[in-house]
Amino acid sequence: MKDPNDKPKRGLIGRLWNGFWSPVSAFSVGFIVIAGFLGGVLFWGAFNWSMELTNTEEFCVSCHTMETNLGEYRETIHYNNHSGVRAICSDCHVPHEWQHKVKAKIIAVKDVYHEIMGTISTPEKYEAHRLEMASQVWRKMKASDSRECRNCHSFEYMDFTIQENRAAAEHQRAIDENMTCIDCHQGIAHALPPGHLEEYKRIVDEIQAENAPLSPKTDDVAAIQSYVGKLSK
Amino acid sequence: MLGILDLLGTIGGNILSLPGILGLALGMMTRNWLVAAAMGGLVGVFETVVFAGFHASEIGYFDLAVAVLVGVLAGSLGCAIRHRGATA
Repeated sequence: MKDPNDKPKRGLIGRLWNGFWSPVSAFSVGFIVIAGFLGGVLFWGAFNWSMELTNTEEFCVSCHTMETNLGEYRETIHYNNHSGVRAICSDCHVPHEWQHKVKAKIIAVKDVYHEIMGTISTPEKYEAHRLEMASQVWRKMKASDSRECRNCHSFEYMDFTIQENRAAAEHQRAIDENMTCIDCHQGIAHALPPGHLEEYKRIVDEIQAENAPLSPKTDDVAAIQSYVGKLSK
Repeated sequence: MLGILDLLGTIGGNILSLPGILGLALGMMTRNWLVAAAMGGLVGVFETVVFAGFHASEIGYFDLAVAVLVGVLAGSLGCAIRHRGATA
């Protein structure tokens, strides 16, 4: 005869769930706090280490589709220069600030998708998408005031006296007109696609339109003076 | 597609940042659902203001909304953990 006190036996997941939420009597609060702290440090260290691993040049160029832009980058001053100081892929494409970095890593999922789908797997396909890809990067850089460039470069510490005359004049103009690095340095690491000037202008116009006030003031001074003049009569 | 990824990235960034972690921790300190959600939401506001360098003009309202939402949810989750996992 079946014992009425017998409860149906729970599965493994059910028992684990129950155990997880049951109070522990074998451990002191201090033990649990210290163990939780150590576990947290280990987890966070491993997480951060893994994320930094995805910032290495080897990781970035391990995909077949990165061969074209790697070749272009190797021809630039950011890869090879007199001082040996280099900027690798992540220095320009991954923000340093934690929250922006996590966002960039999540958005980079699309790169894995396109690698699998072969969206830019041949030189022809790459060229067909070059302007679109460049456009996305320019938009991000323009919107962030070239945040990643400014991790290394700063107007405050530029010595214009040892720059070429043209560079010094243009950098002074950039300061005076509140310009940002990407406004001029669009092809600094990769080849420029045809129509890049028109595309960049479109991006700048779009960003300006997005940041414009919702209800712009349209009253002009003459209309206000005329209104005040009528009132005073 | 980039729009959805942008949203997911912002949510992920907030979950692994102050609203997610501190919001959860603060939520675990109370059994009151409203207090937990409010504390989480406040962390979201605080983080957005700090990241904007305390300049109101630099605050992105999309970022602020996502940070507050993640903070409220994290605070509520913390409160649920407190209800489920604490005997006193």
